[in-house]
Amino acid sequence: MARGKAKDGDGNWKKFIWNSEKKELLGRTGGSWFKILLFYVIFYGCLAGIFIGTIQVMLLTVSEFEPKYQDRVAPPGLTQVPQVQKTEISFTASDSKSYEPYVKNLEKFLKDYSADQQTENIVFQDCGEMPTDYKDRGPYSDAQGQKKVCKFKREWLENCSGIQDPTFGYKDGKPCILVKLNRIIGFKPKAPVNDSLPAEVMAKYSPYLIPVHCAAKREEDADKIGTVEYYGMGGYSGFALQYYPYYGKLLQPRYLQPLVAVQFTNLTYDVEVRVECRAYGQNIQYSDKDRFQGRFDIKFDIRSS
Amino acid sequence: LSASELEEKYGTSINKGLSSSRAAEILARDGPNSLTPPKATPEIVKFLKQMVGGFSILLWIGAVFSWISFGIQFAQGAESPFDNLYLGVVLALVVILTGIFAYYQEAKSTNIMASFSKMIPQQALVIRDAEKKELPAEQLVVGDIVEIKGGDRIPADIRLISAQGCKVDNSSLTGESEPQSRSCDFTHENPLETKNIAFYSTTCVEGTATGIVINTGDRTVIGRIASLASGVGNEKTPIAIEIEHFVYLVAGVAISIGVLFFIISVSMRYKILDSIIFLIGIIVANVPEGLLATVTVSLSLTAKRMAKKNCLVKNLEAVETLGSTSIICSDKTGTLTQNRMTVAHLWFDNQIYSADTSEDQTSKYAQPFDQSSPSWTALSKIVTLCNRAEFRPGQENLPIMKRVVVGDASETALLKFAEVILGDVMSIRAQNKKVAEIPFNSTNKFQLSIHETDDPNDKRFLLVMKGAPERILERCSTIMINGKEEPLDSEKAEAFQTAYMELGGMGERVLGFCHLYLPENEFPDTYPFDTDSMNFPTSNLCFVGLLSMIDPPRSTVPDAVSKCRSAGIKVIMVTGDHPITAKAIAKSVGIISATSETVEDIAKRLNIPVEQVNRREATAAVVNGMELKDMSLQQLDDILCNHSEIVFARTSPQQKLIIVEGCQRQGAVVAVTGDGVNDSPALKKADIGIAMGIAGSDAAKNAADMVLLDDNFASIVTGVEEGRLIFDNLKKTIAYTLTKNIAELCPFLIYIIASIPMPIGTITILFIDLGTDIIPSVALAYEKAESDIMNRRPRNKKKDRLVNEQLAVYSYLQIGIIQSVGAFVTYFTVYAEQGFLPSTLLGVRVDWENNAINDFEDSYGQEWTKYQRMYLQWTGYTAFFVSITIQQVADLIIRKTRRNSIFQQGLFRFQYWFVAVPFAILIWVYDEVRKLFIRRYPGSK
Repeated sequence: MARGKAKDGDGNWKKFIWNSEKKELLGRTGGSWFKILLFYVIFYGCLAGIFIGTIQVMLLTVSEFEPKYQDRVAPPGLTQVPQVQKTEISFTASDSKSYEPYVKNLEKFLKDYSADQQTENIVFQDCGEMPTDYKDRGPYSDAQGQKKVCKFKREWLENCSGIQDPTFGYKDGKPCILVKLNRIIGFKPKAPVNDSLPAEVMAKYSPYLIPVHCAAKREEDADKIGTVEYYGMGGYSGFALQYYPYYGKLLQPRYLQPLVAVQFTNLTYDVEVRVECRAYGQNIQYSDKDRFQGRFDIKFDIRSS
Repeated sequence: LSASELEEKYGTSINKGLSSSRAAEILARDGPNSLTPPKATPEIVKFLKQMVGGFSILLWIGAVFSWISFGIQFAQGAESPFDNLYLGVVLALVVILTGIFAYYQEAKSTNIMASFSKMIPQQALVIRDAEKKELPAEQLVVGDIVEIKGGDRIPADIRLISAQGCKVDNSSLTGESEPQSRSCDFTHENPLETKNIAFYSTTCVEGTATGIVINTGDRTVIGRIASLASGVGNEKTPIAIEIEHFVYLVAGVAISIGVLFFIISVSMRYKILDSIIFLIGIIVANVPEGLLATVTVSLSLTAKRMAKKNCLVKNLEAVETLGSTSIICSDKTGTLTQNRMTVAHLWFDNQIYSADTSEDQTSKYAQPFDQSSPSWTALSKIVTLCNRAEFRPGQENLPIMKRVVVGDASETALLKFAEVILGDVMSIRAQNKKVAEIPFNSTNKFQLSIHETDDPNDKRFLLVMKGAPERILERCSTIMINGKEEPLDSEKAEAFQTAYMELGGMGERVLGFCHLYLPENEFPDTYPFDTDSMNFPTSNLCFVGLLSMIDPPRSTVPDAVSKCRSAGIKVIMVTGDHPITAKAIAKSVGIISATSETVEDIAKRLNIPVEQVNRREATAAVVNGMELKDMSLQQLDDILCNHSEIVFARTSPQQKLIIVEGCQRQGAVVAVTGDGVNDSPALKKADIGIAMGIAGSDAAKNAADMVLLDDNFASIVTGVEEGRLIFDNLKKTIAYTLTKNIAELCPFLIYIIASIPMPIGTITILFIDLGTDIIPSVALAYEKAESDIMNRRPRNKKKDRLVNEQLAVYSYLQIGIIQSVGAFVTYFTVYAEQGFLPSTLLGVRVDWENNAINDFEDSYGQEWTKYQRMYLQWTGYTAFFVSITIQQVADLIIRKTRRNSIFQQGLFRFQYWFVAVPFAILIWVYDEVRKLFIRRYPGSK
C-alpha cells in the first residue's frame, strides 16, 4: 500500500505486478529489487547493531546489584498469600475442592520456609527468636561474596504453618492468610512511634517491630470478623527489623522475607466480609491511588454449605 | 419580424399591452422574472459531510470502539475503565473540532448566485390594459410592452419595437465596454449581435426605447449564463485531490496494519476486547490528526502573504492550485492591458513616430518623438482643439493619467496626450475660442470645429477636423510636410496608405487630422457659421497627420509573461476583441514571441495560400471565435497541443468555457482570468479562476477563487511562486508528520508481539499529534524557497504527487524506524534504571497488567504493586514522548530542505543558540527560589 501504485487502474496493475517488457516485478527489475533489499538489509542491520550497542552501553551503566532509581517502587506495598485470580478468598469449608487452590498456593509459598530448606549455614544465619535491630551486611557488591540470610522458622506461624493442619484452617472455615511486606533493596522500615497505633497493636509492642494489624474495612462489618489470631516471630504480629535491609536477588538469592500469619477464626459465613490489613511504620505510607501501599484489603466469602 | 407579426407571436398589442388577467396566466406558467438560485445543500448536510470526510470516519470508528470497550469494562467492573471513555471523548472532540474548522472554511466560500440576483432591476414601466404601470420587474411576463430610458436597467430580454438614440452597455454580458446603439432593425442572425434586442441586466446608457419582452427569468441570456456558471461543477482542486490521495494512503496503511494485528492478537489468544483496544491504538497512531488543520493553517498563512501582494485568495486550496498551473487563459482588456486608450503612434512629415504608452507618463520630455517640426505644432493644435473631452474639475493634484475625463475613450486619450505634452489644454482652448462645431456622428465619420486663433494679429478662423483617415483624406487637397503645404499627389497618398495600413496592422485605432485657415476676406470676424447648412468649406483641406491609439499593455506584463514562460506555464489570450488588435497586444507582451509566426504569417512570407502551409511549422496561432464555432473538439485539441502560443479572439462566454475544457482535456491545470459576468462560467470551470478586483464585476469575483486587487497580471506570477512554495513546504510538513507515525505505531506492534509493558499511551500519541507537532509543522510552511522554483516546470498532476512512494518509504521505513529505535532505547533505559532490565520485560504483559498481582518481581528481586508499575509505565510514556519530540527536532531540521544541504540553506548561526542559556538558567533558579518561599511560608499572599 505504501508503494502507492495500486490504484493505476484498468488492468495496469497486472502490468505492475509483472511487466514482461521491462522484466519488472512490482515496478522494479530483479537487479533493482536486489539492490533495494540489500540496502534495507544493511540499513536495518546497522540499526539493529546500533540498538543492541546502545542497550549494552546502557546496561554497563546500570549496577548488577541495586537499581539506579527506586522512586517508583518505594514506599513498599503490602501483599498477602494466597493469591488466586483476585484479592478474594471464597470457599466452602466442607468442600476440599473449593479451597484447594488457596492451600496449594500457601503450601508452595511456604516451601522455602521449611526447616529442611534452611540447613546450609553458609547461606543462613540464626537471627534469634525475638525482634532486634537491622543487620547491615556491608556494601551492595559481591566483593565479599554472597550475603547471609536470616532464618525464618515455619513453626513460628503455628496454626498457619501448615505443619499440623495441611489445610491451613480452611477445612474448619478458619482461613489463614500470610502477610508480607514487598521486598525493596536497601529499604529499612522504621518502627512506628507509639501513640499513632491502634490499642490492639500497642498490646504487644517492640521497638524492633513493624506491626501488622487487620480490621474490618467498613465499620458495619466490625462485628462480622470475629477474633483474629496473629502468628509471627516470637509471637509478635509484625515484621522483625533484623530481616532488613534486603540485598537483592544476586547477593541474597534465598532471602526469606519475614511473614505474619493471620487467622480468622470466627468469620461470619455466607456474607462478604472485607478486611483491611495494615503495616505500621514511620516510613510506611498509605495512598488513595495505590491501595496496596502499606496495606491491602481482602474479601472473604465463606459459604456454610 | 415586423411589429404586427410580433404582436401576433406573443399575443399582445403594442399600444395596449397585455391584459392583467392574461399576464397573470403567463406569470403562472413561466414563473416570476427572476433568476432561480441554485439548490443549496442544507447547512447541516454540509456540516455532517465535514464530520465524516477524510480521517474523521477512522477516528469515529476509534471513538466508538473506545466507548464500546469502556461499556464492557465498566460492566465487568474493571479497575480503570475511564481511560477508554476519555479516549473516546478526545477522539470525538478532535473530529468535531477539525470538522467545525473545515466547515467554517467552506462556509466562507461565497455563493455565486447572490451577485446575479443583485443585478435584477427593481421596477419596470409596463403597458398593461392600455395603461402605463410601474411594476416590480419580477412580475414581467413574455409579451409585456416595456418602456426603457437612459439609466435604466433592462428588466428582461427585450425585442425593441421603437427606439430613439438608444444605447446599451453590454459589458456585463459580453465584456465589451463600448456602449452599443440599439434600434429596431434586425442586423444579425446571432441574437447577441443583432441590434434590436436588449438584454436583461444590461444598462441603457442613453435614449429611450419600447419593446416586447421575449424572455424572462432563467430563459434570458444572462439567466442562461448564470445557470451555466452554477451548472459548472466545482472542480476538485489539485491540493484537495492530493490530500484525498494522502488520506487514502494513510487510511489504507492504518486499516491494513490494524486489521492485520487484530488478527495476530486474536490468534495470539488476546481477549477480543484487548484486541479492539490495540486496534484503536494502531488507528490513532497512524492517523495524523493534526495534519489537516496544519495544512489549512499553512494555506491560510500563505493566503495572507499573498493578500499583501494584492492576490486575495477566496478559496484556500486555490493557493496551491495556482502553483501547479500549467496554462493561464488570460483576458486581454484590463488584465494584460491598462484598459484605457492611449496614443501610441503618430504619423506626420511622412514618418511614423511612436509615443510613450507607459502607465505613469508625466512630462513631454518622455515622449520619444521629434517635437520641433512645425507639422507637429499644427497637429497638436488640431488634437487640442478638435476635442470635446474635458477633465472633471478639482483634479489638479492628480497625475494626468489618473484624472477622470468626461468624454469617450479616444477623445480621452487625445486629451491626456495633449495635456502631457502641451500643458494646460483648457487654457489653450480658451485662447482659441470655438465658434462652431459639428460633433462626430456615424454617417459623416468626422468631427469638425472652427476656432479663432490665439494670435491677435491673425484674424483668420481655423477650421480643424479629425475622423476616419480615409474620409479625412478625401476632403484634403494638400498635405503638410515640414510645416509647408504641398499638393497631395498620388505618391503622397500612397505614403499615407502605407502608414495607415501599418498602424492599422498593429491593431491600433487610427484617426486622421486636417485643418484649414479660412481666408479673412471671405470669413470676417462676424461671419455666421451655421453647422446645419455647412456654410463653410469642408473639402480641399490640408492634411496634417495621423494619430493611432491603442489600449497599451501594462508595463509589468511582458516581464510577467516571460517569467511564466520560464516557469513552464503557457499563457493563452482569450478576448472578445478583434483578432488584429489581440495579436498586436499578444506580440507586444510576449504571448506571441517575436520570432514565432502564425500560419497566416508564414503564408504571407512565403507568398503561398494559407492551405499549403505546414501547420506544424507555426508555433503561434490566432483563432477567431467564428472559426472556433465550426471546430470539432479534436481540432481544438489539435490547436492547443501543437501551438505553444495561442490567441483566441472574438470569443463568446460559451467558447471561453470550451477553451478551458479543451485545456483541461490536455491534463493541464488551467487558470482563467476575467472580469465580466461573461467570464464567470469559465472562471468557475477553471481549476483556478482569477477575477480582477478593480474592473471585475461581482459575479466574476464570486465565481473566482482568487481576486487580483490591482488587476495586474504580474501579481499572478507572484501567486504562482507562492503556490509552488507552499506545495514544496506542504511536502516537507507531511514528511515531517508521517515520520513520527512509525514511532507511534511501533510501540503497539512490539507491545502485541513481545508482550512488553505498553511503551506509549493512545492519549500521549494524540498529545504529540495535536500538541507538540503542530507548531513545527506550521513553521515549515514559512520555509523559503530552495532553488529558483520559478524555473521549474509546473508539476505533473499525475506524477508529482504530494505524497509519493519515495516520501512515504523514506519517512516510514527509514527515518521512522530510526526514530522508533531511538525511542525504544529511551524506553528500555528508563525501565532498566528503575529495576526492569530489558530481558525481564519480554513477555511480562499479562502479569504486568494484572490488577491482582501486587508483588510483581523485577530483575533485582524487588516487588512492585500494580499502581507502582502503572506509575513506571507512565514514566515510560513520558520518556517515549520526549524522545519522539527530541527526534522530531532533528526531523524538522532535515525536512527544512529537500535537496540543499541544511548548511547551504543557512541554519541559525550556531553561537546564537547559547546566548539565552544564562537566562534560561535564571528562570529556573528564580522559580526554584519562588517555590522555596512557597514551601517556607505556606498560605502567605
